[in-house]
Amino acid sequence: MVTEAVTMADPAGLKAIGAALAVGLTGLASAYAERDIGAAAIGAMAENEGLFGKGLILTVIPETIVIFGLVVAILML
Amino acid sequence: MQLLQKFKRGSGSKSHAKYAYTVSRVRAMKSKLLPKETYPRLMNMSIDEIARFIGESGYTEDVDELALRFEGVDLIEHSLNRNLSVTFRKLLNISEGEVNFLIAEYLKEYDIWNIKTILRGKYCKASTKEIQEALVAGGSLTYTLLSGLATKESYEEVVSEFEGTEYYPILEKYDGTNLSDIENLLDKLYYAGLFALAGSSKSKDRKLFAKFIRAGIDIKNLMILFRLKKAGITDPDMIKLMIEGGLEIKFKDIQRMMSLSFGEFIEELNKYSYWEEISDIVSSDMQSLIHVETRLKKYRLKSASSFSHVYPLSIVPIMDYILTKQNEVNNLRIIVRGKEANLSDEIIREQLVI
Repeated sequence: MVTEAVTMADPAGLKAIGAALAVGLTGLASAYAERDIGAAAIGAMAENEGLFGKGLILTVIPETIVIFGLVVAILML
Repeated sequence: MQLLQKFKRGSGSKSHAKYAYTVSRVRAMKSKLLPKETYPRLMNMSIDEIARFIGESGYTEDVDELALRFEGVDLIEHSLNRNLSVTFRKLLNISEGEVNFLIAEYLKEYDIWNIKTILRGKYCKASTKEIQEALVAGGSLTYTLLSGLATKESYEEVVSEFEGTEYYPILEKYDGTNLSDIENLLDKLYYAGLFALAGSSKSKDRKLFAKFIRAGIDIKNLMILFRLKKAGITDPDMIKLMIEGGLEIKFKDIQRMMSLSFGEFIEELNKYSYWEEISDIVSSDMQSLIHVETRLKKYRLKSASSFSHVYPLSIVPIMDYILTKQNEVNNLRIIVRGKEANLSDEIIREQLVI
């Protein structure tokens, strides 16, 4: 007797992949955006140390992208 | 897959990060230059007060170091020269790759200037000390090397030191008498080098760089033309003084203009965008060219600055800084030398490019 193998992806697994993509891709995106800003902030700081605070804040602004990703991932799971 | 390869190669996107660092440093350096309002104040100071003032602003280290050896006008002059070479060397140190290469090419202007200074010094038998004092080591040739060259006895020894460099084929033609030809050839070599860089490549940076250089050539050619025409020279042979490769004023237009009189030349200028800048002060019976020249220099600075805002992450803001810095040093020098020669404030003010 031939039995038909039923293969079906576990929905929990797909959800986990979705969450991983949401965090992973947004992480890459914010890193890409922060690279230029970080380089510029270091340049400005080398000339004027007083710009440390401003440079830091501007550098982490693209961090919001990965936070959105994280929120989406949490909502999914 | 293509995207991945691009990431691996890092072409284009990588140079952006380098620009971000260098350009923001350069912008910070530009903000430290003397503001416009300083110049009227400097006009009211004596030479020693000016020396003290610049010693307390961006030139502290230079003035401190040289104060033991010089005083008065010489102190200011040497501090300015030293600052210029330190600043440009810093630009070379804080940049890398393509940016560094382009800046170094641009600053070869100073290498050529120094070679000319040494050869001129040897030509008129100036003392080693005098030659060394006139050097501005802003380019890739270091001060140690140049001052070593200045101690050589004759021009032949100086020339032989350059063997193997790009300057040698020109310098070996120098026979002790044809100095002006050699100087012209060196200048042409400088521009030929710049265009060779920009012409062969398709990169955006090099195109911008070329555009910037071409705009500068236009201004230089215009100034030479104004001087020639004002002096009534219509000899077509004078074309050898002109630099090829202008942005708006093409070489064949200049060739045509060579035979025009001053009045005709001014009418001809109507066609170019530079005319708007100078139309109110140019007339066929004008006495002095000072106003035109300062206006043209001012236009060059203004357009470089606005050009740098159009392309914020590129070579242009760095070039803009180099121009502004050179102008600041020139202005200070004009004020100090003017005061030393007891010129009236009015005359000094006319010469300033603010």
